[in-house]
Amino acid sequence: MKQKLFYLFVLAALLLSSCGGSAPAAVKVGWAGSPDSLNPGMAILTESYTIFELVYDSMYELNLDGSFTLTLAESVERSDDGLVYTYKIRDGIKWHDGKPLTAEDIAFSYNLYKDTPEYPYMNGYYTPYFETIEATANNEVILTLNEAIPNIESQLVFLYVLPKHIWEGVDKLEYENVEMVGSGPFKMAEYAQNEFIRLTANKEHFATPPKVNEVIFQTFENQDALVQAIKTGQLDMITEMPNTAVETLKNAENVEVVVGSPLAPDVADIIFNQTEDENCPKDDGGVCTGHPALRDRDVRLAMAHATDKQKLIDVILLGLGAPGLTLIPDGLGVWYNDSIKDYEYDVAKANKILDDAGYLDTDGDKIREMPDGSRPLTFRMSWPSDSLTSPRMAEMLSEMWAEIGVTLEMQAVDPDALTALCCPAFDFDMMIWGWGSDPDPSALLYVYTTEAIPTGSSETGYSNPAYDDLYAKQQTALDFNERKDIVWEMQKIVHDDVVYIIPWYAQSTQAFRTDRFTGWITDQAKVELADVTSLTVIEPVK
Amino acid sequence: MNRTRALLKKAAWSLFTILFVIVLNFFLFRVLPGDPARAGIRDPRLKKEAVEMLRVRFGLDKPVINCFESLNPIKVGSCTVNPMETQFFIYARNLLQGELGFSYHTNRPVGDILAERLWNTVLLIGAGQILSIIIGVIFGVFAAWKARTTVDFAAVITSLVAWSLPTFWLAIILLFWGSNNGLPLAGKATPGASSLPFLQQWGDIALHMFLPTLTYTIVYMGEYTLIMRSSLMDVLSEDYILTAKAKGLSAVQILKDHALKNAMLPLVTVIAINLGFTVAGAIQIETVFSWPGLGLSITEAVGRRDFPVLQGAFILIAVAVIIANFLADLTYNYLDPRVETE
Repeated sequence: MKQKLFYLFVLAALLLSSCGGSAPAAVKVGWAGSPDSLNPGMAILTESYTIFELVYDSMYELNLDGSFTLTLAESVERSDDGLVYTYKIRDGIKWHDGKPLTAEDIAFSYNLYKDTPEYPYMNGYYTPYFETIEATANNEVILTLNEAIPNIESQLVFLYVLPKHIWEGVDKLEYENVEMVGSGPFKMAEYAQNEFIRLTANKEHFATPPKVNEVIFQTFENQDALVQAIKTGQLDMITEMPNTAVETLKNAENVEVVVGSPLAPDVADIIFNQTEDENCPKDDGGVCTGHPALRDRDVRLAMAHATDKQKLIDVILLGLGAPGLTLIPDGLGVWYNDSIKDYEYDVAKANKILDDAGYLDTDGDKIREMPDGSRPLTFRMSWPSDSLTSPRMAEMLSEMWAEIGVTLEMQAVDPDALTALCCPAFDFDMMIWGWGSDPDPSALLYVYTTEAIPTGSSETGYSNPAYDDLYAKQQTALDFNERKDIVWEMQKIVHDDVVYIIPWYAQSTQAFRTDRFTGWITDQAKVELADVTSLTVIEPVK
Repeated sequence: MNRTRALLKKAAWSLFTILFVIVLNFFLFRVLPGDPARAGIRDPRLKKEAVEMLRVRFGLDKPVINCFESLNPIKVGSCTVNPMETQFFIYARNLLQGELGFSYHTNRPVGDILAERLWNTVLLIGAGQILSIIIGVIFGVFAAWKARTTVDFAAVITSLVAWSLPTFWLAIILLFWGSNNGLPLAGKATPGASSLPFLQQWGDIALHMFLPTLTYTIVYMGEYTLIMRSSLMDVLSEDYILTAKAKGLSAVQILKDHALKNAMLPLVTVIAINLGFTVAGAIQIETVFSWPGLGLSITEAVGRRDFPVLQGAFILIAVAVIIANFLADLTYNYLDPRVETE
């Protein structure tokens, strides 16, 4: 009876909802997030940037191998002193509303980003080197910097070019930009915040006109539903899934799972508070209560040797990760120093290091004491309470380090409260946390500098003048290979000093239906099926 | 006369409660540790100055209230600042003007966000409540009328099981079942459906509503059945029912004219309370089925420490609960004129 009623209902609803014409080639993408804002100045979440990549163009395109391609401009010239860039903009580019895109729009956009200090990432990171930006009558953009920098590509890649004729008349902070007039390969058709985004193809795009007609991003708050939806064919691609679902989906019919480095890698880190008294940022709220043993490299080194990273990866990530070295993840391509040899997991060696350094268990409670006997090697260990992986990691670390006479007092802390404890207060011993990253390494290299200690960016209080010098040098090394060598050298230094233990570089897991669209890009260094690189080349399966 | 006075008094109390909630709501979030402006953002590209700008934009740079810079940690400040330059009075003034502030997360006005979401919740809860009340009352009446028979036994067991099922578990089971029957698993409409003709649009929404409404109905129907049954059994044991039976009235007449109205009283109480709370109470169902309602807004806002959205949602819920209770009081008077306040 109930069954019958149900089918009657479904039939009625289907009759009502089925539309006549043949279904267009719409790619249905499922994800667990959604953009926070469609205003490119205000947005913070990567989901927003995924949509910007599709709807807007910027001066450069970030490729999946980590390299950059010039897009809006056909050529660029750099002055000998590295301060002036002249971009010759392609002619004939059009906005989605039909108006022409010119150098004027680009200069307007860059000035907008530069002159709006309220935009969270701009003045602090992307635009501080901008001196002036001008458009010439010749459809050129002349960008003058106040300092010669080596990485203009990554500084410009996320500065999306906005139509002047729309943006000059709006409140640049409160404008929600739901109409989102851009110039990119897809046009905004319909936006329901936290529900879905419907994009239609811009078949007139100058570089990468898509072959499909529509792309729909739908938000699934529940990851089981996401997995179920691709299994049953309600979705054509999903950008994320719980690691526990990977095996199930690999066995599902017509579904292919792709695993690899994420386009925007997040780095997990195990933080040692090693702030020396003279570096304690007292003026900025520093209290610096870190355990003195953690300032000793030997202790950190012993703990690194006593950490079985592969086991952490196997148990917590179900194997979907690679052991980490420094804050520069393998996903950063050429910038990642893969020649560093990690500390091997060797408990006996770890114990010997601590014995030799004088950290002995004098009272027989299986916990070592400081060489002067003053305090035991008992460290406070905290992590953000919203993290899914950290509790398990803390538990496993506690077991691993018990083997070398180190104990942890473990506590999950609300992320706000953790920030207050962390930096620049340095009111902790150890933490498990993480960072988002940028395609350019300097963002994360900055975290290790002495300069970052009072700003709250440094979580360890690490200070090494030699490293600071190299940081300044790579900021101005215009020669690519020279800069790469410096960046590699810096990773070597911080790895040698055991500033952090980086447990892993997590891998991104995505999946697509093989019976719907073909041509997904899966053979690159990074995996991102929702990137323009895939969405503009896939076509319906015939 | 007396009744009007009692009602006025009740209305005044409701108003006072709402005011209290408004004040509590503000301080509740201010005693939480940490700084919402930097919460959830771990990015070396986000510099100190940018965070400061965010604080200014959200008004977090101002003292919480006269004499207090912040409440966690407690920092005493100047008592002579202009009250209109403190977070509390700005919040109060904006509220009086009907403004709930801007979401920290999306930069959108909270009023807009909640208005979109409230309608979706009302749709889902409304359908679910109506269905569960109808089914609950019918089952309850049958069970009470056929008390201590197999029918009664079956109804009681079914209701108890339905009532005690964990909501999210039931939702996930139904989700798996639904996905194999081609039902949509997320959202309230197919993207692009807004361009369809009116009837097809509603058909689409009905399809999307099916699983969440079914879950809701199953969860609440059991409760209503049990309450209806026990309340009706009480009434049926009254002498006047015996009299009615002796007069030779039919079962339908006895139930309809004599028993049901009296037996509805406890059910109305429960429904009123549920209605108020279900504005928030569908959190689990909305999360499992990604139904864009208020409950989902709350989950999202908690995760992101989006205090303005939480404040707005809490006020809305408090007002809903208070109004629902007030309406329940009014309905009592109608159902049972003996119910006199005081």
